[in-house]
Amino acid sequence: MASVTLEKVAKSYGSHKVIHGADLNVKDGEFVVFVGPSGCGKSTLLRMIAGLEDITSGDVSIGETRVTDMVPGDRGVAMVFQSYALYPHMDVARNMSFGLRMQGNDKADTDARVGNASVVLQLKQLLARLPKQLSGGQRQRVAIGRAIVRKPQVFLFDEPLSNLDAELRVQMRVEIARLHSELAATMIYVTHDQTEAMTLADRIVVLRDGNIEQVGSPLELYHDPDTAFVAGFIGSPRMNFLAGRTENWADGLQSVALVNHGDKIVKIPTRSALATGEEVTVGVRPEHLLAGKAAVGGFAITADVVEHLGATTYIYAGARSENPLIVARTDDHADTVGDQVTILPQVGKAHLFDTNGMRIR
Amino acid sequence: MRPRSLTAFGFLAPYLLIFASFWLWPIIYSFYLSFMSTRRLPWTFNPKMTWGRVVQDPAFYNALENTLTILAIQVPVMLFLATLLAVMLNSTLLRARGLIRFAFFAPVVIGEAAYAAVFRLMFNTEFGVINKVIESVGLPPVEWFSNPDAAMALIIMAVTWRWVGYNAIIILAGLQSIPQDVYEAATLDRVSPRQQFLYITLPLLKPVILFCLVLSVIGSMQLFAEPYLITNVGGPGGATETLGLYLYRQAFLNLNFGYASAVAYTIAALAVMISALNLWIGRDKT
Repeated sequence: MASVTLEKVAKSYGSHKVIHGADLNVKDGEFVVFVGPSGCGKSTLLRMIAGLEDITSGDVSIGETRVTDMVPGDRGVAMVFQSYALYPHMDVARNMSFGLRMQGNDKADTDARVGNASVVLQLKQLLARLPKQLSGGQRQRVAIGRAIVRKPQVFLFDEPLSNLDAELRVQMRVEIARLHSELAATMIYVTHDQTEAMTLADRIVVLRDGNIEQVGSPLELYHDPDTAFVAGFIGSPRMNFLAGRTENWADGLQSVALVNHGDKIVKIPTRSALATGEEVTVGVRPEHLLAGKAAVGGFAITADVVEHLGATTYIYAGARSENPLIVARTDDHADTVGDQVTILPQVGKAHLFDTNGMRIR
Repeated sequence: MRPRSLTAFGFLAPYLLIFASFWLWPIIYSFYLSFMSTRRLPWTFNPKMTWGRVVQDPAFYNALENTLTILAIQVPVMLFLATLLAVMLNSTLLRARGLIRFAFFAPVVIGEAAYAAVFRLMFNTEFGVINKVIESVGLPPVEWFSNPDAAMALIIMAVTWRWVGYNAIIILAGLQSIPQDVYEAATLDRVSPRQQFLYITLPLLKPVILFCLVLSVIGSMQLFAEPYLITNVGGPGGATETLGLYLYRQAFLNLNFGYASAVAYTIAALAVMISALNLWIGRDKT
């Protein structure tokens, strides 16, 4: 196993820049997830590490070795593709052993590796099947098995669960997490699904338009986002953003008037005072909005849509607008559409962002 | 019959009428004819003169041998070249791709008479460009039209030239249906490009190549235009007479329709048998 280091890694297609100089250090044995909306460059960055995309400038190192100019096969990486990319005419055993056989690896060793991988991934019964005779989940396990038998320094996953149904996705997510702890391998995993990122990652790398927006543990990103983009991307349902105007500052608390909610004042901890009358955005997660009796002194919203999930109820206000306000209620209150609900951000849980989306601390 | 079906059949009638009179009827009628002695009027039922003759006619066996020789040499060579060409046409290094693909496909569109005339000129023994090239490297000129082996080689080259691009385009479609990420996975598996071609591309192209093989076998069994137009109706001395040509000679020069029908059915049966054999050998064993 090995670490992966990116130094000012950039990629352009002609004059079109898709990766703008990424710096990142993935530690040995770490599980890092690249997350971001489609088109943010996360898959491109992964493929640059694999060597499947050229690097326009910058350097990639795996362990102590600079691999920037190495062909993919020599980099010691294995990749699991979204489409599985299994060899359609080979059975499961031959799919997993193909690379080793082509290199003239010792047959006994190859068989042993395939045997081990098929035990780890519960593929023993399927070794003689062709890919077309397997379900999506089984195919993805074969693709992972093919990566394992190579004993790579780094595992790369490119949206491996996107083609699976919701239930299988959860199941495979657990399996990948188990695999990571069993193999203690360095893994880099690309997804657009923030839930996958939150549940699997040691550290998450949030990408946006070819830039690394923020790197941190899942809870760091959740509790302490650097930008409104990260705050909005991490967490489900997404964070509420409310238009605000700065008022006075006292004892480390900045007062902000919520301009769309009757200038209701919320207090947010900041290090220093902001000029009065400035336009800001208040970010507060649905689960950090008190509702009903707990929201003493709050403001009222009208429930447009109510989703009862059992443990939690989601209330949407302004559901037809681009940016509805979402409240997560866990206090067993059976709200219905049209109800007036009083809400109040929990003290210390709201974040403040400037007009450029940068966090004001 | 319900009125709706009647309307439908009414619209289908022109097609069905043409299909029945120019396709179905000749098939049935020629089967009947294949049992008739048609050498003199009135025609009489005499299978000995038709089916009996097929199995012992040296001219038929000569045409069969020529056809099978062409098939055995031309088809594998052409499919090999077509596969090679398809891989080249699929290369990302290739510029003006559409134009070049059309250029290789164009021979199919060109009229047979025109292309045969050009081949005859190019291979002319005295002033043809091919012999000029051969002589320029110090070799004796080839008697393309009077040497039986050379004439056979000429037919094989002409047919290959005409159909290689057509087959390459079909194989190219097969190549493009192989997902790119399979090759990426193989690259990461440290599989060399040569191994990728042998162990991934070729096996995945097998159904397409098999399809081309069956098409080519059927085409070869019916081969007519090239020996008729290029080597002077199967010359020299029947050395390039094919089954198609022999059938034509019996039917339309000798006007022996009964025997020609028996030959036609024999050709069809052989084509079906060889194609079935190809499919059986190339079947998926899993």
